[in-house]
Amino acid sequence: MSTVAVRMAGISKNFGGVKALKNVNFEVLAGEVHALLGGNGAGKSTILKVLNGVHVPSAGTIEVLGVPLTIHTPEASRAAGIAMNYQEMSLIPTLTVAQNVFLTRETKSGGLIDDKKAERKAAKLFAMLGVDVDPRAIVGDLGAGQKQLTEIVKAISQNARILVLDEPSTALAISDVDRLFTFLRKLKKQGVAVIYVSHRMDEIARIADRATILRDGKHVITAAIGDLPIDTMIEHIVGKRSLGLADIERSDAVRGDIALELRNVSGRNKPDNISLTIYKGEVVGLAGLLGSGRTSLAKLVAGIEPVVSGEIRINDRPVSFRRPGDAITAGVALVPEARATQGIIAAHSVSDNLTLAALDGLSKAGFVIAAKAHAATNAQIERLSIKTASCDHSVSTLSGGNQQKVVIGKWLAVDPDVLVLDEPTAGIDIGSKSEIIRLVRELAANGKAILMISSELSELLTACDRIVVMADGRVYEDFSRAALDDPAEANTDITHRLQAAEQRLQISIQEALAAGQEISHAQQ
Amino acid sequence: MPNSDTTHAAGLVGAFLQNWRQNIIYIGFIAIFVVFALTLNDRGFLNPNNLLNIVRQTAMIAVMAIAMTFVLSAGEIDLSVGVVAGLSSVTVAMVISVAGPFAGILAGLATGIAIGTFNGWLTTKIGIPSFLTTLAMMGIAKGIAMWVSGTSAVPILSQSYAWWFGGGSIGPIPVLLFWILIFSAVGHVVLRRTGFGRRVLATGGGEQAAGYSGINTAKIKFRVLVISSTAAALAGMFYAGRLQSGRFQLGEGDELSVIAAAVLGGTSLFGGKGTVIGTIVGALMIGLINNGLILMGLEFSQQLIARGGIIILAVALSQKRA
Repeated sequence: MSTVAVRMAGISKNFGGVKALKNVNFEVLAGEVHALLGGNGAGKSTILKVLNGVHVPSAGTIEVLGVPLTIHTPEASRAAGIAMNYQEMSLIPTLTVAQNVFLTRETKSGGLIDDKKAERKAAKLFAMLGVDVDPRAIVGDLGAGQKQLTEIVKAISQNARILVLDEPSTALAISDVDRLFTFLRKLKKQGVAVIYVSHRMDEIARIADRATILRDGKHVITAAIGDLPIDTMIEHIVGKRSLGLADIERSDAVRGDIALELRNVSGRNKPDNISLTIYKGEVVGLAGLLGSGRTSLAKLVAGIEPVVSGEIRINDRPVSFRRPGDAITAGVALVPEARATQGIIAAHSVSDNLTLAALDGLSKAGFVIAAKAHAATNAQIERLSIKTASCDHSVSTLSGGNQQKVVIGKWLAVDPDVLVLDEPTAGIDIGSKSEIIRLVRELAANGKAILMISSELSELLTACDRIVVMADGRVYEDFSRAALDDPAEANTDITHRLQAAEQRLQISIQEALAAGQEISHAQQ
Repeated sequence: MPNSDTTHAAGLVGAFLQNWRQNIIYIGFIAIFVVFALTLNDRGFLNPNNLLNIVRQTAMIAVMAIAMTFVLSAGEIDLSVGVVAGLSSVTVAMVISVAGPFAGILAGLATGIAIGTFNGWLTTKIGIPSFLTTLAMMGIAKGIAMWVSGTSAVPILSQSYAWWFGGGSIGPIPVLLFWILIFSAVGHVVLRRTGFGRRVLATGGGEQAAGYSGINTAKIKFRVLVISSTAAALAGMFYAGRLQSGRFQLGEGDELSVIAAAVLGGTSLFGGKGTVIGTIVGALMIGLINNGLILMGLEFSQQLIARGGIIILAVALSQKRA
């Protein structure tokens, strides 16, 4: 019987009124790789941040190697033997790789920092992992994969007894993933407990000994990986959720003319050779994991990143965008992924945000006509039922869902033909989510062409007429929505049907991932 | 093997030229020096006395700029250094007149530490950006200095104080040169080779990442602001020693030269990047330009324009192009 490395009992965590974790038990043994699984918002990140001292739990106890952890700070957790990589969040871009690896634990000679020695030590660690990263390089100049490796080496250099890896393989080449796994097995033999978070089921099956699955902030199951075939895992992750989406009416789309057409379009890095057609009145969803190229594709269409090869056509005319303004003129609007930094100007009023993209149409001789701006603002507030004390309140006073409606309203004000939505429901409450999905359907019914990215598959299934699965920058499969419904479940209630479709989509995403890796493997 | 030595040297020169944008300050310094040496030689530019004068005039800026390197590297700014220098010159002079030089020195340092603590407290505990905190402090410190001195100069009669702090020289070498060397050496080692320096750079380079790495970023910001005010107080003490009096106008407007010196030297206004050696060269370059423009016989108005133009040119050349 191995010793228990981490015992978290009855952990709850509330953020304001939101219960991110509800009475979760989580136990990890020394010398095992323990996978932590769950969909978006299941509470994985939250429980890891609690373990790591970034969040203070609202209730529950934590024991690390038999010692209760009573102080909840990153320093206390690290002193207890916990090291964690943070998906590139703990690297300082202006320092070198070696300086980052040993940050706060600098290598010294004669009381002074010795960077040369640190570089040699870092080089040894990288050699042990068998990966090629220059310890003297400035982190800001590195590619995503090398940053990720630096992050991992930083975590393991701390001689931790518990190593937490949050999506460590996202930006890694497949050969680097193999090396990482070899290294993790070495750590396991030394009795280190590894907590491994990933959306990639094939990886989990290869490396993990046991898995714990969370859903909606609750513990679902902990079991040996042998007892959890991939489809069982997916079933537990998806669960029998009632998302309030099931009652959204789905009517078949009335397809109009082609609104947006991509012909063999490639970006600088991703996406790779995409051909895709979206008709007026149609909602097309992009499914895939982080790094699959969905956001890059959205950025190409919105003129934020340059098209390297291929052709984009809008309303059957070829277009070429040099800046976002060109795309907006051509009738494309993007509701971006990062609402706070890319979508809204938080300190400005609801009215100023709503009219920002449409200012030219609302002004005369350079002066904004107040009456027109007022009318445009009120029209959007009413149409989207934005809940705000007044149109002059700053957007920062609104809830996440209403902020997102402001972003959408900003673009509806310029009346685009093609609307691209990148994770439009991220971080907003369930009520607003279904409102936004409903709005998407309604816009399509009014003849807009909509491209929607979401990591919440149930949302894609509710909102879209077609779903395109992407992996590694390429289109893997193009489903019509109906093709995802399981005929065997046709007579059960809609919640069941949605769940069955979600499992099929999830399996397709995992297959796409494996196929994508084979292709890049073959190319190496 | 002499051969490998030469290739090594050639490699170093090559690397230097390749990173010429980073090293523009050193290239610029040498270029300006050579131009002035050639064109202003007949007006005494290369005269050792003139060169030592540049050191004397630059010392205060240099000391403040070394501390400012830490402040900027941590992603903060301190606009109050000039007025703090003025205030400390006044407190030093007043305390010396009643309690002697030793008490005066302590009073001067205490002035800097007190103001720095207040700046740091407002910035890290109350959460007012350091730009605003120190902007407000510009008015407060100046007001205090005017008030306690009755806006008049306070003479310093202690010859030993004046010798140590700015007025004295050993043979031809001004004492201020030794101060600059000491502060440069200490500043360089602390920023490059100590855990504190590394934490300063990490805080400015990525505050969230630094926090996740276990660095108490508020404490680091607090400390750099205290260091900056204390260095400003020392600069004020040098002014007082050199002019044998304390007055509230001393150091007025220095904050711009100080920030310019650090930025010219390659320290980033956005934090995370800073070098003390670069800052010293930046400060000397500003002193050099001032001196050369005076020797050229330009009017003060023309000097201001020329100096601004040269600084813009140098900083523009050092910018990395995408």
